[in-house]
Amino acid sequence: MITLEANSLIFRFPKVHDNAKSAIQFQRTLRIPDDGKHYPLPPGLGAFPLRHVEDFADRVPEQWHERAGVMMPLYQAEAMWIAFRGAGWWWSSRYPFAIKIAAGKINAVSGKPWKPELDGSERDYIVLPEQPWLDGFCVAKDVIRQFVAMPLGSGYSVEEQITGKPEHGGLQIIVYPMRRERYEALERRRERVLAKRQLFAAPARARAMGLAAGGRMTQQIYADPHGLDAWDQSVSSRCFVSLVDAVQWREITGEAPPTRPPTAADYTKAGLPWFDYYAADLETLGGAQALALVKSVAEMAEAKGEQVLGADGEVNPDTIIHLGPGKLLRSKGRPVREGKL
Amino acid sequence: MSYTLNMTGFGDYVRTARATRAETDVRFSLRQVAQRIAVEPAYLSKIERGLVAPPSEATIIRLATDLGEDPDVLLALAGKVGSDLQAIILRRPKQFAELIRQLKNAPDHALLKVVREVRDGKW
Repeated sequence: MITLEANSLIFRFPKVHDNAKSAIQFQRTLRIPDDGKHYPLPPGLGAFPLRHVEDFADRVPEQWHERAGVMMPLYQAEAMWIAFRGAGWWWSSRYPFAIKIAAGKINAVSGKPWKPELDGSERDYIVLPEQPWLDGFCVAKDVIRQFVAMPLGSGYSVEEQITGKPEHGGLQIIVYPMRRERYEALERRRERVLAKRQLFAAPARARAMGLAAGGRMTQQIYADPHGLDAWDQSVSSRCFVSLVDAVQWREITGEAPPTRPPTAADYTKAGLPWFDYYAADLETLGGAQALALVKSVAEMAEAKGEQVLGADGEVNPDTIIHLGPGKLLRSKGRPVREGKL
Repeated sequence: MSYTLNMTGFGDYVRTARATRAETDVRFSLRQVAQRIAVEPAYLSKIERGLVAPPSEATIIRLATDLGEDPDVLLALAGKVGSDLQAIILRRPKQFAELIRQLKNAPDHALLKVVREVRDGKW
């Protein structure tokens, strides 16, 4: 089952195990420059608001109502990252999960069309708790291209570039818990080691957004260290996350959307930190060729002769905080900065 | 899951949660946690030992956030109900009072059945 609590999607599998619960949050962040350089991980600027789509059924397209799930607001060219658990969350279960993430039903790890089941040969899923965050599309080994929202139908989204059609947009997520017996065996090993969510007259024509590829970032996508047979594929929970143009958020929900995030240049000039996460002992996945061939927003804008991004300015992250297993800050995770910036 | 409600229970819970984290991360020393949640170390020490009543709701929430604990659990252990929950109950006191009484002995899995799920559709 999936519930929406404090702008987080909470996944629970009480029939598998009482501890089988995890959370997904979508974090506002800086859009890194799309200039060919590889950037470290940008900060979290607070969680995007999430709302049940069915609560606004009279103000969203019929297709959204059929998909159900939740929706969130993003401005054109705004970036985001996905947090699988994080600092300040009241629980941080170590129960392992296999999660498939797609944008416009294109798998963000493999670049292949969406299919719900896990397939070890495709290596198209991420594993919790090893993978704390996902910031973009996996285009090469240890390199991702940042998730950047663009209007569906404008030709920028990864979905449109790969399929040629602006059909789905949004994000698709499916979660599988580890088999109970495998988890309990894992816990016994750990313990030994430790011993040592108004009505308006007119429905809004909500503009759907899709995720496009932004600037390059260094981020490891870890391979499954448990093996395909560790996952209980007899149960799963899935969710469609519709992306709404933030300028239409108030018209649909009656609520103010978040403010626009600062530019990467302004953030860096203010001396604020960037991040790096590295787990030396885990195998990382190579990039997906289909995703590597996708044009970034800047490349597509240049090819189309359009101006869709503001000037990025010179960005030289000087302050980089290294996170990861064995690091001092591991228990607090990637810091999330709430409030206005 | 149920929790015992008393002053020492709150202090014990906080001390255990903080000390466990302090074993692997020096930032969870009594002094550093106290500094981050804006109280005197001596006051936090007294709270942990059950020598003073639990702090204000705002301080409990800062403490829970810093320790990565559930604020509702810490508030309950302190014998308090969060102001957000109070506001919800006060809007429809009769209905919520009855709901809580009806559910008081229900097992956790039954409580989860009354929680609103995110609906999945066709896609």
